Amino acid sequence: VTYKWLSYTLGVHVNQAKQMLYDYVERKRKENSGAQLHVTYLVAGNLLQNGHVCHKVAVVREDKLEAMKSKLSTIASVHVYSIQKALLKDSSPLYNTDYDIVKTNLQHCSKFSAICCAAAVPRTPPDAPQAPASAQSPPRQRDPGAAGAVNGHGPPAAKPPPQQHRGIMGMFAAKAAAKPQDTQKEAKAEAKEAPGVSAASSKPPTKNSIMNNFFGKAAMNKVSSVPEQPKEEKEVVKPSVAVAEPESSPNTVAEKPGKKIESARNQQKDKKSKTKRAHRSDDEEERDPENVKKKRKRIKQLQSDSSDEEDVPPSPTPEEERAPSPPPAPALKTELEPASTEGSAGGKKRKRKRVLKSKMFIDEEEGCMGKTG
Amino acid sequence: MFSEQAAPTAQGLLAPPSAKPPTFPRVPVSGYSDCSQPFQLGERSFSRQYAHIYAVRLAGMRPGLERRARSRWGNDTVLRKLSELQAGEKCCVVGTLFKSMQLQPSILQEISEEHNLVPQPPLPKYIQPSDELILEDELQRIKLEGAIDVQKLVTGTILAVYGSEQDDGGFLVEDHCFADLPPLLPWTGPSSDRFVLLASGLGLGSVSGEALLSTQLLVDVVTGQLGAEGEQSCAAHITRVILAGNLLSQNTQSRDTINKAKYLTKKTQAASVEAVKMLDEILLQLCTSVPVDVMPGEFDPTNYTLPQQPLHRCMLPLASAYATLRLVTNPYQANLDGVRFLGTSGQNISDIFKYSSMDDYLEILEWTLLAGHISPTAPDTLGCYPFYKSDPFILTECPHVYFCGNAPHFQSKLLQGKEGQRVLLVTVPDFSATQTACLVNLRDLTCQPITFSGFGADSED
Repeated sequence: VTYKWLSYTLGVHVNQAKQMLYDYVERKRKENSGAQLHVTYLVAGNLLQNGHVCHKVAVVREDKLEAMKSKLSTIASVHVYSIQKALLKDSSPLYNTDYDIVKTNLQHCSKFSAICCAAAVPRTPPDAPQAPASAQSPPRQRDPGAAGAVNGHGPPAAKPPPQQHRGIMGMFAAKAAAKPQDTQKEAKAEAKEAPGVSAASSKPPTKNSIMNNFFGKAAMNKVSSVPEQPKEEKEVVKPSVAVAEPESSPNTVAEKPGKKIESARNQQKDKKSKTKRAHRSDDEEERDPENVKKKRKRIKQLQSDSSDEEDVPPSPTPEEERAPSPPPAPALKTELEPASTEGSAGGKKRKRKRVLKSKMFIDEEEGCMGKTG
Repeated sequence: MFSEQAAPTAQGLLAPPSAKPPTFPRVPVSGYSDCSQPFQLGERSFSRQYAHIYAVRLAGMRPGLERRARSRWGNDTVLRKLSELQAGEKCCVVGTLFKSMQLQPSILQEISEEHNLVPQPPLPKYIQPSDELILEDELQRIKLEGAIDVQKLVTGTILAVYGSEQDDGGFLVEDHCFADLPPLLPWTGPSSDRFVLLASGLGLGSVSGEALLSTQLLVDVVTGQLGAEGEQSCAAHITRVILAGNLLSQNTQSRDTINKAKYLTKKTQAASVEAVKMLDEILLQLCTSVPVDVMPGEFDPTNYTLPQQPLHRCMLPLASAYATLRLVTNPYQANLDGVRFLGTSGQNISDIFKYSSMDDYLEILEWTLLAGHISPTAPDTLGCYPFYKSDPFILTECPHVYFCGNAPHFQSKLLQGKEGQRVLLVTVPDFSATQTACLVNLRDLTCQPITFSGFGADSED
C-alpha cells in the first residue's frame, strides 16, 4: 500500500493519505498485535556530493531511515511512503502499485496532488479536428486501394463531434503509426476472432457476424484503419435504427469488420471505445437517417455508375486533407500525393465490391458463408 | 534551495491526519515566448550542396570576428583574405577551420571496393597526433602551423588567426581568437524564486527498470505529490519542465529488423511503440500539473539531422490534449520569464568530444559559446540540414542559460563575459544512468542537481 494508492482509492489529498498511513502505523505498533509491518519512508534533503550541494530524494526502508537522515545535511521532508506486510527486497513492487493505480486514473491524476495548475486545461476541440483529419490520411495512405466506397462514408461521418474522434483517432493513430504493414494481416487474423469479440462487445445477430467474417475476409484490404471511425457510428446506427434493410446491412457489415478490427486491437481501450460509441449513439440519432440515406444513395450509384462515385467520395477526401494546414509531418506530404491515385484505384475496387455485395445477398439467403472472388 | 525553505515543516506529515491539507497553486507562467523559429524547417529540400552552409557561416561571422581581431591586436591590424596574402607580412585572416584527421570515418573509404576495408568501428575519440589544421576562406585554403592547439579545435569553427605566411606555403600562427561571447541580452528575470527543471535521457523502453521508479519519483516531486508541505510548496515554484532529449533509450533503436527476414519480423512491434506509450503516460501526469517542453534527442523518433524537428503530436495522444505540453525542436531557444534559455540534446557536444582533445562536457559547452556557434562540426561529422540562406546555429545573442543534455554527469558554471554577460552553463546528466535532474533558479541563475533513488536488494546507501 503506497500513499498514492491510498489517495486514489479513498479519494483523499495525498498529504492526508500520508498522514493516515503514519497514524495507522503508530496505532498498530502501539497495539503490539504481533503482525509485523514494514514501512518505507521518503526522505528528501540536501546532501554534499562531489563538491556541490545536491538535493536528494530517496525511498528508504525503515531500518535505513536514520542512516539516511544523518547523511543529509538539511532534511526537507520525511513521510511515510508505503506500508506492507512483507519485507521488500527492492522498490519495484512499489513502482508497480503506483503505476497501476495511476494508469487507471490517468485522466485526473493531479486531482489529489498538492499543486494545482491553472494552465493545465485540455485543449479545446477546434484544435483537434486537424489532428483526426491529418491522422486519417496516413492510415488511408497505407491502403491505397482502400475502399473508395468506404472512404466515401468517411467524410460525412467526420462531421460529428471531433472530441470523440480525437480520442479514437489518437489511440488509433498511435497504433497506426506503429503497425503499417501489419494492418492487413492482423486485420485478417482479427476478423476471424471477430465473431467472438463481437458477441462480447455488442449484440449483433449471428447472421451479421457471419457476413462480417465473410466480408472481412474478402474485403480486408479495403477495410483500412481509418474508416473504422465512421464504421463505429454506423454500427451504432444499426442497433439504434434497427431497420433491417438489406441495403443498410452490408454497410453496417462493412463497418463491423472495421469496428472489430479496432476493438480487437484496442482491447485495453475497449471501455473507452464503448463509452465513445455510447456518446455517439446519443448524438448520432438524428444524423442516422441522413447517413443511411447517404449510404443508400451511394449503393444505388454503385450499381449505376462507378465514375460518379469516383467524384463523390474522393472530393471530400482531398478536401479534408488539404483543409487543415498540414503540420510539418513528413508522412503527411508523401500521403497527399497518393491520394489522387487512391481515387482511381478505388474505382476499381468499388466495382469489385459491387459484385461482392450481390453475392453476399445470395449467401445470406442461403444462410451459409460462401467465398466470392 | 528547496531544502532551506522546506526544513521547518519537514516532519509535518509524521502525524495523524489533519483537517484539510493545503493545496498550493502552481506559479503561473508569466512570460513565455518560444524563440526557436530559426530551427524549425518548413519545406525541406535536400538537393542542395552543403558547401553553402560554410559560405553563409563565414559571411555571417566575419564582421564580428573582424571587430574582435581589431580590438585584440590593434586597430591597425591588416585584415587580408587568403588570396591577398603576401609572404612574411603580419596580418590577420578570418576563415573556416578544417581538421584533416586520419581516423575520421569516411564514407568513401567504406565503400571503396579496391581497398577491401572493413568499416571502421566507432571509437570514442578520433584524434591523432598527426592531424593537421587548415584554414579555408571563400577561395583558398592554407595550412596552419604554430601557436595553435591542433588537438583541441574542430572542423567548422570560424576563427581569426594572426601571423604571417611562410615560404613553404604554410601560415605561421602567432595568435588566434574566436568570436567570443555574443552581445549581451538585457536581463529581465523574475524577482522571486522561480525554478525550471531540466532533465534529459529519460531512457524509456530500456530493459532495466531501475530508472523507472526514479522517473516516477521525479514526476511526483514536480506534480507535488511527494514530500512534506514545505517541499510541496517549493515544488509549486517550478514553472516549467524541459526534457532535453533521449526520451527513449538506445534499446528502442532495433535496427536489426532491417536485416532479418521478413517472416521473422512480421508480427513484432518496434520497441519504440511501447516506449512512446509509456512516455505519453508520464507526460500526461506532468502536463496536468506543469508546462512541459519536450525536445527530441538522438534516439527519439524524429529526423536525424540537426535541427531536429519536434516530435509529432500524434505519438502522444493523451498528453497532447493538454495545452501545457509543448513539443519543440532541438536546439531549443525560448524566453522564460525574461530569461533566455538555449540548449540542445547533447549531440553537438558529444560530436565535438569525439573529434577534439577536450574531455569535459562543460568545457566543450563553454568553448562553443566562445566560438559563437552551437555546433561547428555540423555538416562535417554531424548530420545537418543544408542551409543556404543563413546558418541558424550562429549565436547572435547571449543566452542566460545555456544547457546541453545527456552529459555523463552534472556540471554547472556561471560564466561572466567582458561586456557584463552572465551565462549559466549547465550540462544536464543522463537521467537513466544517474537519476539526476537539474533545477535552475531563475532569480539568481543558480543550479542545483536533484537525485532520486529507490532501494535495491543490495543497496547500502
